[in-house]
Amino acid sequence: MIKLNNVTKVYKGTVVAVRDVTVDIAKGEFVFLVGPSGSGKSTFIRLLNREELPEHGTIYVAGKDIGTLGTWRVPFLRRNIGFIFQDFKLLPKKTVAENVAFALEVIGKPRQVVRKQVPAILELVGLAEKIDNFPHELSGGEQQRVSVARAFVNRPPILLADEPTGNLDPQTSVGIMKLLDRINRTGTTVVMATHDRSIVDTMRRRVIELDRGEIVRDQARGVYE
Amino acid sequence: MALSPRYVLRETGQNLWRNVLSSAAAIITIGVSLWLFGGFFLFNYAVDNATARWEGGIEFVVWMQPDATAEQDANIRDSIDTSPAIKEWIYVDQSQTYEEFREIFADTPELIEVVSPDVLPPSYRVVPENPDADVVAELSDQFVGRPGVEEVVSADQTIRDIQRLADKVTRVFLVGSVILLTAATLLILTNIVSAIRSRGAEIEIMKVVGATNWFIRVPFMLEGLVQAVLGAMGAWVGLRVLDDTVIKGLSEPDSLQLMQGFRVDQGEFYSTSLLVLGIAIVVSGIGSAVAVTRYLDV
Repeated sequence: MIKLNNVTKVYKGTVVAVRDVTVDIAKGEFVFLVGPSGSGKSTFIRLLNREELPEHGTIYVAGKDIGTLGTWRVPFLRRNIGFIFQDFKLLPKKTVAENVAFALEVIGKPRQVVRKQVPAILELVGLAEKIDNFPHELSGGEQQRVSVARAFVNRPPILLADEPTGNLDPQTSVGIMKLLDRINRTGTTVVMATHDRSIVDTMRRRVIELDRGEIVRDQARGVYE
Repeated sequence: MALSPRYVLRETGQNLWRNVLSSAAAIITIGVSLWLFGGFFLFNYAVDNATARWEGGIEFVVWMQPDATAEQDANIRDSIDTSPAIKEWIYVDQSQTYEEFREIFADTPELIEVVSPDVLPPSYRVVPENPDADVVAELSDQFVGRPGVEEVVSADQTIRDIQRLADKVTRVFLVGSVILLTAATLLILTNIVSAIRSRGAEIEIMKVVGATNWFIRVPFMLEGLVQAVLGAMGAWVGLRVLDDTVIKGLSEPDSLQLMQGFRVDQGEFYSTSLLVLGIAIVVSGIGSAVAVTRYLDV
């Protein structure tokens, strides 16, 4: 599903964010990216949805070399990748339903599809009752659930999450992780950058550890350290 | 994936509403600049119509009687043709005069209906070698009162003064409109850049979920287009007022004789209106294109 071959990413010509990374992630895997701040986790994630391009190496997503994709094809790549932000990035003037619907509207989905899929995904994330609430009326955990719903409403085969529990308390984080686990069980590949030791240790999934841009550990059913 | 008209209209409307004051400023600036631009054309048309018979160096016109004999006509023609003081001349027969009449009175079809070509006078329109006023007066006087001649009319100094004044006025209109159109283009650009910045979070989400570049750009470009078209509509109202009050006022029956041809045909008015709309679209296109290509990183 995802394959990186000798990928190196350098910022401003000198700062090496990712160094000679080679890794294979199979369809349906749940992968934690761990490591200290500045180790290259976020860059790794941004490389996968082509927010960044590597200086060296090749990246394949769903069998396509995304480094050679024309700019006009990048949006179509991203429709296959859901993205969850640490700070949720909900639109404050839109309701829960509108925030989720926005992700479908802007890729040109017909109204009847939007009307059908939005309530279904909000049911899945447990927010069916909050459909008309605005983000400021929700707790942090609920806001992140909306963010998850928005990322998954188009049913992408890959879900990327950059510190999705970073702004949440431990109990709320567990709820979000259960949700991601549920999504993963539908066959969706999940790649999640995190600092949250307890979550990694509890879930016991594949762990890729980065340090100064290099993979220092790649362990099936691993722990944080 | 096709753009949803509902989505595009909603986003464009929201953009305009969020920047309502600067949008109004842009619309007013575009309206005034297009009004000046259109006014330049209307004024030119009106002056051309008022002085049409004096273009191409024609300094005097020998109007023949409609019932002048062939012999009388041949005498005049021979005098004009053999005069060394005359550089060139044009003969406008009754049917050509009728066509001119129809053009001049296009707005009063009832007058056209009661006039036929045979009651209109043919004429010789004369370009002298020397356009000096005294020389022209002396030359034209040679035809006054001759058999078959109805009237000899000269382009006097007043007409030349009006042409010069009109040139200056239209130049001011043109320069003013170009300056204001540049300002309008920059205002559209600024408004769109401001809209792009105020919607940074939405744009980020759109990029992440896979909206195409054009899907992101079109509402912003449409915002510029709406401002320009509203400005053009304002300019149309202003041009209509200009035509109905100033231009038509100058050609009232009690105004100066030589101003009585000062008018703009409906066709000329509509072609100017279309041109104004075209310029509005170009202005918005330039402003929007620069804004979305330079300031919208998709």
